[in-house]
Amino acid sequence: MKTRRDFLRSTVLGASAAWTVPMFIDRTFGQLHEGARDLAIQPITGKDDTILVVLQLAGGNDGLNTLVPYGDDAYYRARPRLGKKEADIIKLNDHVGLNGSMPFLSSLFKEGDLGIVQGVGYPNPNRSHFVSTSIWETADTTNHSNTGWLGRYFDNACPGADPTVGISFNKTHPESFGALKNPGICLNSPELYRWIHGGGEKAQAEEFFADLNQPDDDSHDNDSHDDDPNSGGSIAMAAGGKIGGIRGEANLAFLERVALDARVSSKTILEIAAKHRTSVRYDGTPLAKNLNLVARMIAGGMSTRVYYVSHGGFDTHNQQLNSHDRLLGQLDSSLKSFFADLKEQGNDKRVVLMTFSEFGRRVSENASVGTDHGKASCLFLAGPAVKGGLHGLHPSLTDLHEGDIKHNVDFRSVYGTILSDWLKAPDLKPILGANYSKLGLIG
Amino acid sequence: MIARADNPWTLFEAAHLLNRAGFGGSPAEIQSFHALGRSKAVESLISPAEPLNAFPLPLWCSEEAVLADMRERMEQRRSIQATKRKASQISREKYREQGLEAQAWWFHRMLLTQAPLREKMTLFWHDHFATSIKKVKKQTVLMVRQNDLFRQNAFGSSKDLTQAVLMDPAMMLYLDTQSSKKGRPNENFAREVMELFTLGEGNYTEQDIRESARAFTGYELNRQNGKVFHNLRQWDSTDKTVFGKTGPFNGKDVIDLIFEKKQAARFLSNKIWEFFVYEKPSETAQDALATILQKSNFQTGPLLREIFLSREFYSENTIRSQIKSPIQYLVGLLKQLEITDPPTRFPITAQKQLGQVLFMPPNVAGWDWGQAWINTNTLLTRYNLAGFLTKGAGELDKTPKDAQAKTPGMAPAPKNMGRGWQGPDYEKVAPRALRDEPAKLVDSLIFRFFQNPVADKARNSFIEYAISKQGVIFTNKETAELCHLILSTPYYQLC
Repeated sequence: MKTRRDFLRSTVLGASAAWTVPMFIDRTFGQLHEGARDLAIQPITGKDDTILVVLQLAGGNDGLNTLVPYGDDAYYRARPRLGKKEADIIKLNDHVGLNGSMPFLSSLFKEGDLGIVQGVGYPNPNRSHFVSTSIWETADTTNHSNTGWLGRYFDNACPGADPTVGISFNKTHPESFGALKNPGICLNSPELYRWIHGGGEKAQAEEFFADLNQPDDDSHDNDSHDDDPNSGGSIAMAAGGKIGGIRGEANLAFLERVALDARVSSKTILEIAAKHRTSVRYDGTPLAKNLNLVARMIAGGMSTRVYYVSHGGFDTHNQQLNSHDRLLGQLDSSLKSFFADLKEQGNDKRVVLMTFSEFGRRVSENASVGTDHGKASCLFLAGPAVKGGLHGLHPSLTDLHEGDIKHNVDFRSVYGTILSDWLKAPDLKPILGANYSKLGLIG
Repeated sequence: MIARADNPWTLFEAAHLLNRAGFGGSPAEIQSFHALGRSKAVESLISPAEPLNAFPLPLWCSEEAVLADMRERMEQRRSIQATKRKASQISREKYREQGLEAQAWWFHRMLLTQAPLREKMTLFWHDHFATSIKKVKKQTVLMVRQNDLFRQNAFGSSKDLTQAVLMDPAMMLYLDTQSSKKGRPNENFAREVMELFTLGEGNYTEQDIRESARAFTGYELNRQNGKVFHNLRQWDSTDKTVFGKTGPFNGKDVIDLIFEKKQAARFLSNKIWEFFVYEKPSETAQDALATILQKSNFQTGPLLREIFLSREFYSENTIRSQIKSPIQYLVGLLKQLEITDPPTRFPITAQKQLGQVLFMPPNVAGWDWGQAWINTNTLLTRYNLAGFLTKGAGELDKTPKDAQAKTPGMAPAPKNMGRGWQGPDYEKVAPRALRDEPAKLVDSLIFRFFQNPVADKARNSFIEYAISKQGVIFTNKETAELCHLILSTPYYQLC
């Protein structure tokens, strides 16, 4: 059996590093002195870095019934049935108030720990869910990019990081994690994020499994374990296993790396998830459960910089009043538990949570007492590190474009601000393609 | 104060009062009114003796009748709403069912067809001319017809197929092209045609897009018969300049112009090569492929023949170097396990979990292939789906909740996949005669699953596992576990 030290060494150097450095350099790691190799493991286990939690409100959140411009008659004219009455909102100033389903976020606002960016959007907005989601996730308004804004952050600002630098709790890899080198990992449930084998002697089966899902690092490891048939065994291609070596990662190497990422992170994640049990109560909603998992990962000392969770159902074309309030209520209650949990851990100051949605909704209600796809909307930034208050101007409800409010703030400036001021990305150019003006959202 | 008139009055004055204060009267009525004297007469008007209810109202005006009527109306409205809701729910349900049926139908066809290349080319065209049932949801039949169009043109002219796609109702609904009209052309279709369907980015100018967008105006869907026609009244008939040529082009003309460019043959033949062989062929290969396609008048059949007869196709560069798409993975796995009748919900649930659902490409660009299929979650999901299918995942009959709460080690049956799944027929997959000799058994399974030798280390690992499992008798359960282990490898993801 390999020791944990061996395991770490072979995974960190044999795999995690494999896609961040050219193959020939990677090879030399194999020849390094053991002590030096252990040193090389140290820098990436930093557990005190800042953390961003991205919370997607999928379906297009109705910004106008989230942050309600109750002081504007045009709001009530456009929404005779959907308009939130003054009694149903929590006033933030004499113009806007938060939907009454969000008492926690309102209190967070009053404490100065909630920033609300108003009128966020982008030029030539697209009303299609997936196109607009892609645009938000890739930060490319032409919707051509193959990589996501967070993936480019991992690639460009987190060299040598573990695959767990980004963890998504979505079923599929979020587009924003798309990367050339390190796309983070996807995870549904830590308990199931593992190879599930029903064999009687599970541990034994898993040992075989582990060996089969590990790159063949013996070829560049002097003290190879040839005497130990269970060690370092990998399924290399019988012929032509090294095709296209320098053209990029060959498919088999890629698969072996992902398999190893999955296996390594599975182990870490299972361990870490088991470490922390909070006394804070979470709801039973998927969002609350996922935020609970995020909190557990953070408490366990995961070196992850970005977590990604989703809250769906915001495509409220029909009878939206109750359903929208319910969704916001679930959001509010999940965040209440999440921040209470983080505070209890003493990690709250390390975390900023940002919501986003692909678009807002039409100003006027539709015939089915719902709202149709719109354009600009508002987003939340929560956490003690956030500069609380309202950012950007509330967009006009009378100066519209095709029935939609116009954006005042480009979402890429929000990203840019978070990337440089919170995630400490040294250079925005390779991540966002340009330097967007900063908004003063942090600190 | 206003000066008052005296009480005595004339008959004419009485008639005047009755006229103005009321509606006048007959001579007899005026007579008796006059007889009251002026002041009493006025009083009789202001405080009439006639009771308010002197004239009984129709019965339906009664309080009860009104309430009953309002209840009835409310009931009616409610029932209309309920009927409407029900109808829309039924139709939603119907289209959802239709969608699922179409998806199951195609998957089943792929699994059992004796013309696999035709189905694979259909899948290629489905990805190339990506259209999603998510948007065309109320017209499932249009998706099925489009699928058939792809099948009919599997080996035919890609140029004719592109022309047919211009007139394809599902594509039209998917890309909202019917809104493109003279005077306000929509550049969407023009751009997708050049960027995604024929030339690739960088092989046209923005002016080509703008100009040809005008040519693509006026194509409309007739909602009565579900056919696309070119409405000449909505078509911009003026001259356009596309690729340096000028004329009053329509959509068909623009597609003809596109296919005059060498790049059209190059783009498509390259994409077909990448789909079947490997990514990024050499420049020389690309030229050769383009020439083949062009010379055959854009027919894909001859190109496919050349590809499958080429030496490169059987070279080390190609064999077992491609990452299986989820569809390839699932159909192949079922074939290898000789399962012709998988649990009903398995194919669709598995497609969703692995990220490729038939008739639901993520956008007009189609799916991202190759490495994009794999992330830590989908890879583990592949391993665990294989566990479910082989029945290697153990106690599948537990509910997920129980399984999570009590035995974190056990896999819950994937949702909606059918509880009663018994696993494949292991008497066929691993005949008893083989089971006495682990090496033989493993070699037979290796051929079944990889169709190619695997590295000795892996083979030894499998054999060793088999030996350790052998015990007194190698039951189906142990066979399932061995199969699951073999399938839970990176190498199995390649074909």
